[in-house]
Amino acid sequence: MLFGILYLAAFYMDWSPFRYYPDTRKFHLQITPQDGPAILWYGWVAAAVVGSAIVAALVPRSVAERLRPSWAWVVPLAIMLLMMIYERRWFV
Amino acid sequence: MIVVLLIVHGLLAVTLLGPLNDQDLSLVPSRAAVGPLSFVGRFRGVDSSAYANAIVVLFVITAIGGGLLYPQYRLDVRTALEDLQLRSANGVFEIKEHLVAIGLGLLPTYWLFWRAPLGSPQAVARRYLTWLLAFIVWWSFLVGHVLNNIKGLLP
Repeated sequence: MLFGILYLAAFYMDWSPFRYYPDTRKFHLQITPQDGPAILWYGWVAAAVVGSAIVAALVPRSVAERLRPSWAWVVPLAIMLLMMIYERRWFV
Repeated sequence: MIVVLLIVHGLLAVTLLGPLNDQDLSLVPSRAAVGPLSFVGRFRGVDSSAYANAIVVLFVITAIGGGLLYPQYRLDVRTALEDLQLRSANGVFEIKEHLVAIGLGLLPTYWLFWRAPLGSPQAVARRYLTWLLAFIVWWSFLVGHVLNNIKGLLP
């Protein structure tokens, strides 16, 4: 659930902990325009994985079990809809 | 090498679609069947909980394959789409990237909910989670195929 929120936040703010430059086959922490186009997707996924893993480790099971099961699909569905709304820019 | 990886990625996606479709359709509410089951009835009547582990593993492996293909896509395919001004094609692939990432995040919850007994309070959430995952996999599969063939599809 939190994974999707973190991923959406990272891509919406265009923030990635690292970038991969396929032209030079290198990872960089900073933007290096001379290395060609950058791939941020790996960093967005990594940020979401690390962030949600940390929260999952810190939140007690008793608290997590109080969440209603419907949150498990409602939140991802909302994230998917928000993402589709943002990406409609490619079709207009 | 990249072509081999692309073909394997496509084959894994097809393999993933099989059990996922079985699972989705088995979750569609229906009346109890009377008499011999039809083809659709038999297709839906499988023990769909048996597929959950396979679906998780196949999704992850297929996503890893896509991740390995992505640099080549970024350099060759996306630049070609930009040159041809095919914004929609670029857009549907962007959506595919985001959906696959969201799907990866769904997998732990999906797996946990399929471990619960079929009649449990999680049954409704399990149904919608499975349908979301199916939407993600179908979108990714269709977009991947269309973009792979796009130059042949253009006049």
